[in-house]
Amino acid sequence: MAGLELLSDQGYRLDGRKASELRKVQARMGVFGQADGSAYMEQGNTKALAVVYGPHEVRGSRSKSLHDRAVINCQYSMATFSTAERKRRPHGDRKSSEMSLHLKQTFEAAVLTQLYPRSQIDIYVKILQSDGGNYSACVNAATLALVDAGIPMRDYVCACTAGFAEGTALADLCHAEETGGGTALSLALLPRSQSIALVQMDARLHQDHLDTLMEAAMEACKGLSKVLDSVVRQHLQEVSVLSRD
Amino acid sequence: MASVQISEAEKVYIMHGVRDDLRVDGRGCEDYRHMEIETDVVSNTDGSAKVRMGHTDVLVGIKAELRRPRPNVPDEGYLEFFVDCSANATPEFEGRGGEELGVELSNTLYKVFNSHRSLDLRSLCVCPGEHCWVLYVDVLLLQCDGNLFDAMSIAIKAALFNTRIPKVRVLEDEEGGKEIELSDDPYDCLRLRVDNIPCIVTLCKVGHRHVVDATLQEKACSAASLLVAVTPRGAVTCVRKLGAGSLDPDSIFEMTETGKRVGKALHAPLMELLQKDESLGKKRQKVGFLA
Amino acid sequence: MPVDTKRVRGPEESQSPVLFLPPSTQSPAGRSGQGARGNADIRPVFTRCGLVSQAKGSSYLEAGNTKIICSVYGPREIERKDETDMKSGRLVCDFRLAPFSCRKRGAWIQGSEERDLSLALLESMQPGVCLHRYPRSQIEVNVMVLENDGSILAHAVTCASMALADAGIEMYDLVLGCSLRQDGDACLVDPDVLEEKGSWQSGYEENQGRVTLALLPNLGQVSGLQADGEMREDALPAAVRTCIDGCHKMYPVVQQAILRAVKKKAPPPEK
Repeated sequence: MAGLELLSDQGYRLDGRKASELRKVQARMGVFGQADGSAYMEQGNTKALAVVYGPHEVRGSRSKSLHDRAVINCQYSMATFSTAERKRRPHGDRKSSEMSLHLKQTFEAAVLTQLYPRSQIDIYVKILQSDGGNYSACVNAATLALVDAGIPMRDYVCACTAGFAEGTALADLCHAEETGGGTALSLALLPRSQSIALVQMDARLHQDHLDTLMEAAMEACKGLSKVLDSVVRQHLQEVSVLSRD
Repeated sequence: MASVQISEAEKVYIMHGVRDDLRVDGRGCEDYRHMEIETDVVSNTDGSAKVRMGHTDVLVGIKAELRRPRPNVPDEGYLEFFVDCSANATPEFEGRGGEELGVELSNTLYKVFNSHRSLDLRSLCVCPGEHCWVLYVDVLLLQCDGNLFDAMSIAIKAALFNTRIPKVRVLEDEEGGKEIELSDDPYDCLRLRVDNIPCIVTLCKVGHRHVVDATLQEKACSAASLLVAVTPRGAVTCVRKLGAGSLDPDSIFEMTETGKRVGKALHAPLMELLQKDESLGKKRQKVGFLA
Repeated sequence: MPVDTKRVRGPEESQSPVLFLPPSTQSPAGRSGQGARGNADIRPVFTRCGLVSQAKGSSYLEAGNTKIICSVYGPREIERKDETDMKSGRLVCDFRLAPFSCRKRGAWIQGSEERDLSLALLESMQPGVCLHRYPRSQIEVNVMVLENDGSILAHAVTCASMALADAGIEMYDLVLGCSLRQDGDACLVDPDVLEEKGSWQSGYEENQGRVTLALLPNLGQVSGLQADGEMREDALPAAVRTCIDGCHKMYPVVQQAILRAVKKKAPPPEK
């Protein structure tokens, strides 16, 4: 490992968290008035903004529309000032195209697309500040935005990353831990049915450890789902109080 | 560009209202919408600001980088503008859809802000001919509801006010080689003087009158608008006619007059607000998008 | 892309030697270069219509050393059908600076400056053209600057409106352009490239600016206005009036050229 101690002997991580501890999560729904649904999500220092438009008629060529379900269209982009080094383009590079594809796959598994044949749902996510776990922050923000837009889903989609260091699984990695050379796994989970919408890991890991790592990631996702649920409930309460007046 | 389509009846309604100095949302012709300004919202940047004006939402981040100065002005730093019309604002901007508007907006911003008299570009020079600070001003459009230029200019001014560039020293060793040393103290930094930075006032010609801070609906009623960039002292740094229509000379004079008046009146409360905000220091509550 | 490692490649960015000239040799020595031209005088203008035979209409304009050629194609069927409303036609403007037109060589690809100029040209031309007469079609205006010696946008506007007239496109009025350079108290109409840059680039003096205006002369409407640089409060209205006067000075020359082109196309019946 590149000289970086991810887990101290006392069991604390770089930013002082315990191995299974998540970063502080703050979120808000209905950030924007013009979009059909929107949400803002902070996971530690990672900040993401998600906006949902639709379901609406398929834009552009008709051939893209599906006769039995809705098309989900995702775009992932990063603000040019979101990273430590300034980015030249907000989107269109390989990494963000891949991320857009992953988001699309994740939400195709979660949204009840068959209810909206021949239509399209747009999900646009933007990273305003990046500090590790961009994918998971985006998924969580997009989930809230979809809820805000009133689009039926099977369940919340909760995503979280998990890493592995010194024989212990670490939940919700920050940027330093992600680039520190360890293994990182991102998981998107539908917590109630315990089914996995997307899992991705591209580093070497002994197969014996995979179960521990998955277990840790799933635990973290379930933790997140509680937070998301409370955000949704609180938002609904606020809205209903407002509309009662 | 982000726009709406409205019916003839709506147009008549809006135009008659403007004639009687009463707009659809209850404002007079020279009133701005409610504005929310917050600085220091993105910690990865050297300076940032977020401005919300009605349903228009703009986020500006400024990053300073050390670069080689331009050869024709070796003793000055410079500004680079980039406007990201993100798909968040409207689905039309997806993919490369927002690029055209982005280039258009950033070209205009460059003309408005990159002048010697509004910002002391020489203070950005570290070592003439070799190193200078380049300020990358990145504007992110999150929501469009008309009057992008005004919102952007206010956000840029606020972000420049908020910008802190780390102090550097140039050390020279025996062989004449130069080395740049960054100050150890994170609070030891260079601030920019924003006293003379212009604000943009866009005036939309609706019927025989013109309105400040037009919403998309009002913009749809007007064929031409005039952009005026005004410094606090009342000097004009940039004027542009925008849109497909034409204006007669008298109304141009009238509109620049209004622009100057409104622009001058805009600066004082803005600076006051920014200074008050800063004097709160650590006590200031950061809300960002969570409010 | 494979790179030939054996070859010594030049520096990635090269700079024109012009940049390293001492500023004194670059700055304009008053109005001496063009002979005696008063501050409010425009340069002598030469202009002709109809020299690109393939185009529907075309024009060439020379003002001092500024040389601009413009061709107009269309009205033709619209290419992208989805976005435009079908009731009125579409005007497309493409403004290009030839790579050899400036002191520093430019690229063939349209840069952001040219895109900005294209947009300014489009917004200046649009109010003059009866676009509602051309539903479902687009009219293309291509402007190429062959030599840039200042005031290119203003002359491009004039040149484009002549080409449109030559193409027989219905217009409300001609569109004429004029620009000026405010340098302290002096106000130079139709500046050349040295006057345009002047000492403004390196100077910090007061009341420095550039104004370009497009005018529909018969209707008395201003169809385009661009002003840059910091100008005093009263300077701008004065500059706009001076530009309007400058446009009117151009008008007879343009009228003559169009008349000449019309006579050539349809010679008057001989008696």
